[in-house]
Amino acid sequence: MSKVKVLVVDDEIEFATTLAERLNIRGFEATACFCTEDALALIHAKNIPDVVLLDLKMPHMDGMEALEEIKKYNPTIEVIMLTGHGGGIPLIGAARQKHSPFDCLMKPADINELTTKINQAMVKRQTAINKGEGE
Amino acid sequence: MIKKPGWIKRIFSDVEDYHEKMTSPERYRRFRRTLSLVMIAAFLIPLILTTMLSYYEYRSQMLANFRWNAESAKRTIETFLTELQTVLIYTANEHTYEELVDQDNLKKLYRRLKSHYPGVVDLGIIDHQGIQKAYAGPYELAGKNYSDRECFKAVTVSKTFIGMVEMGYRKVPHFVISVNFFNTNTGQNWVFRASIDATTLDKYIDNIGTGPLSDIFLVSRKGEPLLQSSSQQYGPPLSPYPFELPHNRTGITISEERGVWDYVVLKAVSYIEGTPWALVLLKHGYLYGKDWSFFKARLFFIVMISTLLALFVILQITKLFVGRIREADEKRESMMAEIEHTSKLASIGRLAAGIAHEINNPLAIISAKTGLIMDLLEISEDFKYKKKIGSEIHGTSNAVERCKVITHRLLGFARRMDVTLESIGINNLMQEVLSFLDQEALYRGIHVDLELGDSLPVIESDRGQLQQIFLNLVNNAIDAIGKDGKVTIKTKMRGQSSIQIDVTDNGKGIPQNIISHIFEPFFTTKDSVEKRGTGLGLFITYGIIKKLGGHISVQSSVGVGTTFTVTLPIKINLSRRAHDVESESPGG
Repeated sequence: MSKVKVLVVDDEIEFATTLAERLNIRGFEATACFCTEDALALIHAKNIPDVVLLDLKMPHMDGMEALEEIKKYNPTIEVIMLTGHGGGIPLIGAARQKHSPFDCLMKPADINELTTKINQAMVKRQTAINKGEGE
Repeated sequence: MIKKPGWIKRIFSDVEDYHEKMTSPERYRRFRRTLSLVMIAAFLIPLILTTMLSYYEYRSQMLANFRWNAESAKRTIETFLTELQTVLIYTANEHTYEELVDQDNLKKLYRRLKSHYPGVVDLGIIDHQGIQKAYAGPYELAGKNYSDRECFKAVTVSKTFIGMVEMGYRKVPHFVISVNFFNTNTGQNWVFRASIDATTLDKYIDNIGTGPLSDIFLVSRKGEPLLQSSSQQYGPPLSPYPFELPHNRTGITISEERGVWDYVVLKAVSYIEGTPWALVLLKHGYLYGKDWSFFKARLFFIVMISTLLALFVILQITKLFVGRIREADEKRESMMAEIEHTSKLASIGRLAAGIAHEINNPLAIISAKTGLIMDLLEISEDFKYKKKIGSEIHGTSNAVERCKVITHRLLGFARRMDVTLESIGINNLMQEVLSFLDQEALYRGIHVDLELGDSLPVIESDRGQLQQIFLNLVNNAIDAIGKDGKVTIKTKMRGQSSIQIDVTDNGKGIPQNIISHIFEPFFTTKDSVEKRGTGLGLFITYGIIKKLGGHISVQSSVGVGTTFTVTLPIKINLSRRAHDVESESPGG
């Protein structure tokens, strides 16, 4: 069975790389990106991740906008939001809020909780693929 | 704004600078005193002026009345004397000098006059040399020489003459009226003289009727003043009158003098034209008489009643007025304090949440790095310090975990929580909360007393958050007691639209100097290591209650215990709550 591909997107380089490394140790195939634009470019280049760990607040394009773009491109990619503030997931307007993330975790998240969520997200994605959605 | 004159500002300076001495009771006492004095003065000055005016009006009316009495008495005496003179002139004109010097004729005339005027003592005819040619009367006075007497000398100059009361040849007080006539047959003057008994004057004067407590009499105006008629006070005619007469010889002179027992006596003196007399009218007790006393008593009664009534009303009104002002001041001050406290807490909340957010990112990096080190240690082979490094990293990870708890709680305070509204029976909710803490209370020997209000309405609120509030408050109460004590939970209505819940413990209490800080973050009184709190419990409780549209306050006294009072609206005002939440939540 192939490894679960995880894309970690966070403008905190140290955080993103370390988290990717930890996930790799735990048997995931994790890659770190430091801005949403790079992440989207990667996805458009057919490097489709199974699960994206997306920081909510980033320069230029924030996490919610990136979520919309990712879901638009491939709705089976599951996104887990990581947030450093207490505001939860802000609404960005009903018209634009078409998709929701798989879950939202507060930083600093526990690695075991995170891996559990990634696996659950993977199950959901697998189910969707099996049903023939997206791809 | 209306500009007040300087004097009003000075009087009410206390009110103007209330910001300086807001809570000073002395300030309200002084304000009340000043206000009372100003109102009393404003009332009493017109009252005193009116009273004085009434007093002087009454007095001048009394004087006018007295003057009228004196004038009336004077006119009566003048009328009497004119009548006597007219009778003499008429009688003399009816007869010739020769007829009148006839003794029989004169006696007949005398008897006729006497029958009409009993006061006539005698009649006499005096020739141009002053010899009394004929005489009719009770004495032997025929042939008497009057040439050197005033009654003869004066009448030769003027047509008529009225003499002073004297004893004369008759040895009884009398006065003389003489009329000068011209005898055309002889070409010489002669005098018709009548002596009048002085008691006649008394009778006339008695009839004048000048009212009670009055004395009216005639006084001679030449030489030493002698009484010319009887006086109640100074005695019979010809007694000395102990006062000087005024120099003003026209009109009526009114003056005051000290009488018997030093009483003030009102005196009117008027000179009677063509006579040697002055009429004196004395009014005793003019300041002590019945009318005056009644007037004074009535005036005094009205003034006293008005003053007492005004004093009572003014004092009551100022008390009420100053009390209301004080109440409003205190209310405003406590509102200001509360607003200050709330905005301070909101600012602290925003600041704390902001800091928590900023710390969270580096904390996430530390957490990830320590996690990675632990991962690497786990997969690496043994080396010299592997265990030591593992234990140090584990300590670092624990510290990060503690920081995480704090930042997550702080962010929880500020988080824009989704309030799930449902209908909640507050009494049921309190029982649910207590079921979580029953064992703890039992273990510590703490009795929990529930005094739940009857028929309280269900409220619209968030069950989970209410549970968190009261768990925290009851938990705090149990901690404040420690061992063996009592916690009372009381629910009741507050006004028409709120429910009040009191959580009271009989623990050690909170000192006054720290009570104002207990809702601030990181403030804790739990000093033992095992129980040390994060200092965020009440801070978060406060935040939740505000979000639910409620209010929390605390009363405590050291050694007695503490009561937390929570009020919750029966129905949440969503728009207001949203606004409150918005204003209290941090940005970012």
